[in-house]
Amino acid sequence: MHNPLDHIINKIYHVEILPPKQESTKLLADLDVFKEKYMRVMESGYCACITDNAMGLMAFQGHEIIEEMKLPVHSDQVMIHLNTFHTKADLDNILLSCKNLGIESLLIITGDGSDRLPKLQPKDIDESEVESVTSVELLRYIHRAYPDTFVLGVAFNPYEPPNHEFAKLSRKIEAGASFIITQPIIEQNPQVDRLLAEYPDIPVTVEAWMSKKLSLLSDAIGYKISEDTQFDPIATLKMLHQVYPQCGVYLSLVGFKTQYDLIKGLWI
Amino acid sequence: MITKTEIEKANFRNVWVIGEVEDGTILPVTHELLGAARNLADKRGCEVWAVLMGSEIQNPQLFSFGADVCLLVDDHRINHFIDELESKILSRLIEKYLPEIILCGATSRGRALIPRVAVSCYCGLTADCTQLDIDPDNGDLLQTRPAFGGNILATIRSSNHRPQIASVRPRVMKIPQPDNDRDGITIFEKILPSDEINNKKVVDVYHDSQSAINLADAEIIIAGGRGTHGKAGFELLHQLAQKVGGAVGASRAAVDSGWIPYTHQVGQTGQTVQTKIYIACGISGQIQHLVGMQSCDLIIAIDKNPDTPMMQMADIAITGDMFEILPELINEINQR
Amino acid sequence: MKIVVCIKQVPASNDAKIDPLTKRIIRDTVKSIMNPFDNYALEESVRLREQFGGEVIALTMGPPAAEAILREAIALGVDSGILLSDRAFGGSDTWATSYALAKAIEKIGNVDLVICGKQAIDGDTAQVGPGIAAHLDWQQATYLVEIKRKDERIILTKRLHENGYDICEVTLPAVVTVVKGINTPRVPTLKGRLASLNAEITLWKPEDIDANIEQLGLNGSPTRVVKTEPPAPRTSSTIKIEGTPQQCAKELVRQLRLRSIV
Repeated sequence: MHNPLDHIINKIYHVEILPPKQESTKLLADLDVFKEKYMRVMESGYCACITDNAMGLMAFQGHEIIEEMKLPVHSDQVMIHLNTFHTKADLDNILLSCKNLGIESLLIITGDGSDRLPKLQPKDIDESEVESVTSVELLRYIHRAYPDTFVLGVAFNPYEPPNHEFAKLSRKIEAGASFIITQPIIEQNPQVDRLLAEYPDIPVTVEAWMSKKLSLLSDAIGYKISEDTQFDPIATLKMLHQVYPQCGVYLSLVGFKTQYDLIKGLWI
Repeated sequence: MITKTEIEKANFRNVWVIGEVEDGTILPVTHELLGAARNLADKRGCEVWAVLMGSEIQNPQLFSFGADVCLLVDDHRINHFIDELESKILSRLIEKYLPEIILCGATSRGRALIPRVAVSCYCGLTADCTQLDIDPDNGDLLQTRPAFGGNILATIRSSNHRPQIASVRPRVMKIPQPDNDRDGITIFEKILPSDEINNKKVVDVYHDSQSAINLADAEIIIAGGRGTHGKAGFELLHQLAQKVGGAVGASRAAVDSGWIPYTHQVGQTGQTVQTKIYIACGISGQIQHLVGMQSCDLIIAIDKNPDTPMMQMADIAITGDMFEILPELINEINQR
Repeated sequence: MKIVVCIKQVPASNDAKIDPLTKRIIRDTVKSIMNPFDNYALEESVRLREQFGGEVIALTMGPPAAEAILREAIALGVDSGILLSDRAFGGSDTWATSYALAKAIEKIGNVDLVICGKQAIDGDTAQVGPGIAAHLDWQQATYLVEIKRKDERIILTKRLHENGYDICEVTLPAVVTVVKGINTPRVPTLKGRLASLNAEITLWKPEDIDANIEQLGLNGSPTRVVKTEPPAPRTSSTIKIEGTPQQCAKELVRQLRLRSIV
């Protein structure tokens, strides 16, 4: 299995790709766009990160698109987000498919539900002592049911009350997480600094917000970020590399037409 | 098209209230409807009839609440709710007595029963009304109801059909002060001929302690969401609810997490509530939740995050941790 | 078992934005989705077929674009979809809607069970399910949290009401409405969705269902919407309380006293 530290040593960007939405009225075209982005990430040697019903909006799953479109998988170049809003049958189906496809890297998150998304129940995964399934229980389950199959990562949210968030993180690490990806940051962040100090041995990847729209970021994290009208994602990315040279970088909402070619060579 | 001419329409008189009876007891929604019916009947210059279907109905004389006539169908075969049976009885009574307006409760029972009646009588039906009035120009019933999750108020009429039927949202109309001097007449009606009674039967009934605290009946709802963090958080909500005589509500996220049963869910796929006070604890306020409670009189939100939609909608927004604030609030109330 | 599941396309909004002046939701109804309660009806119909065999047909009435939810239903496992779409159906209230759907169900023929969601989230009436049952003169059971088969002709339904449940024996053919909690609806797979793209949807006009044109659409509807207006604004400002938990609790109680509530 690949080592999550390799992404940092080899300067491999994590590039988020949003899968086509379930409500799409032009699914075939969306699938083609997805394929094009995915192949570009493969060719760049980066790691394609595919979200799981992000913000509770229903989309198709990464593994089924890769299967259906017969996309190539290199074990260190694909990461699938996996949250707790699946039935047990669907969850196992996803994990088995990933295993068969050779997808190793999973980002385990609690996730956002919706009226339409089923929530994994504690009894489904023999976690009778908890009231609801979070990323911690999901991590434990995957380690138990699929030993030595996946490299599991977790999220860190520097916008949540810190003591609560660090307590959660320690449970996640205990449950077997081997890398950490932060929520998007747009400047040096004291909670991220604390994270690096407390977990020097675990690879940390900071998420860079590549959209010019900071209001979307506020929506995504649920807290208002004061808006800088002149927000420059590329300059911010450069700055994050300088501030956090020991970290990997995860690019969210990267513009494949306008930005993708500009990020090459930024990570030095 | 089976519309009614003005002459035909004139044959239809009086305002009917379809009472709700359970185990022989008349439920309060009946009294609420009588208040609304009295108001309409006074404007129309006609009578209010209370129609009661049930088995061994206790104290069926509803004159003190504004009824002029009580139409009783008391039969042991109406001990449980059989939709088809009650709708057939009612359709037959409508044909016999020709009421102009019919009100029933927008309860699970009323909303199952009354559409069948409206179809068989070919007349208009408006669901879940919150305001009723008489058009002074032509005497039509003006029925106002929220739609799109309370985002639009639509006023509806049914000018060319009689009777005009409305189901009325419980707890919206006020129960009138009983006037014990009022009197009226009681008419006893028989159930259907037995060959018209179908084979449907209720084989088991159980009252559920969880849904016994009916959200629609509460004046105060203390509701919890994702920020309630689990059953322990809901325990705190239950304590406060008990203190103030309220009910506990929940967001979809809390229900899906298994912290509290579905019967407590407020919102699009749960219940719509219209209480005096709604205290939202740790509920960010997805639109699907807001549409279920935005008509409450006073909305209080408690959340660590001051920027959520719920905190923006609230009349009183408290920034803080519900686990610290609610115990203090219970303390404050204890001291009074 | 031959099952018809009635579904509806409704406007939806995912975003909650609050108008700072009226404290009301700003609604951007640009998207159309399947009525959320219909997902439970769909799932239940597919599960019943998986258990007992037979066929599930999804039926909807609406504009041509409503075809989208029939494809969604096919992606979720129903066998075929029928769309009632014609100008003559336009402006239907619940009376005329349930009449048209009932005529279509008669036309389909030999239907054992019709399943509807509890209500649609746009109209919120909950009248169409019982309306269909009345037009067909079939038995009905509403607000179901469980459906079990007793024998070939009888189902046992668990009905949810305000203070509990009851179990009601219903003889088929029948119409039932279901609430959330009856099942956990599956999510469409990419495979299912791709297959549904090419599925054939049957389009029926009034003459296809032998409907009396006088009883369809606005013509056949006894009710008329005479006015719509936004609800009265809520208070224009939010009273913000911050401080220690004790200060917050005291201030809240003070605010409630000002309103003569405590």
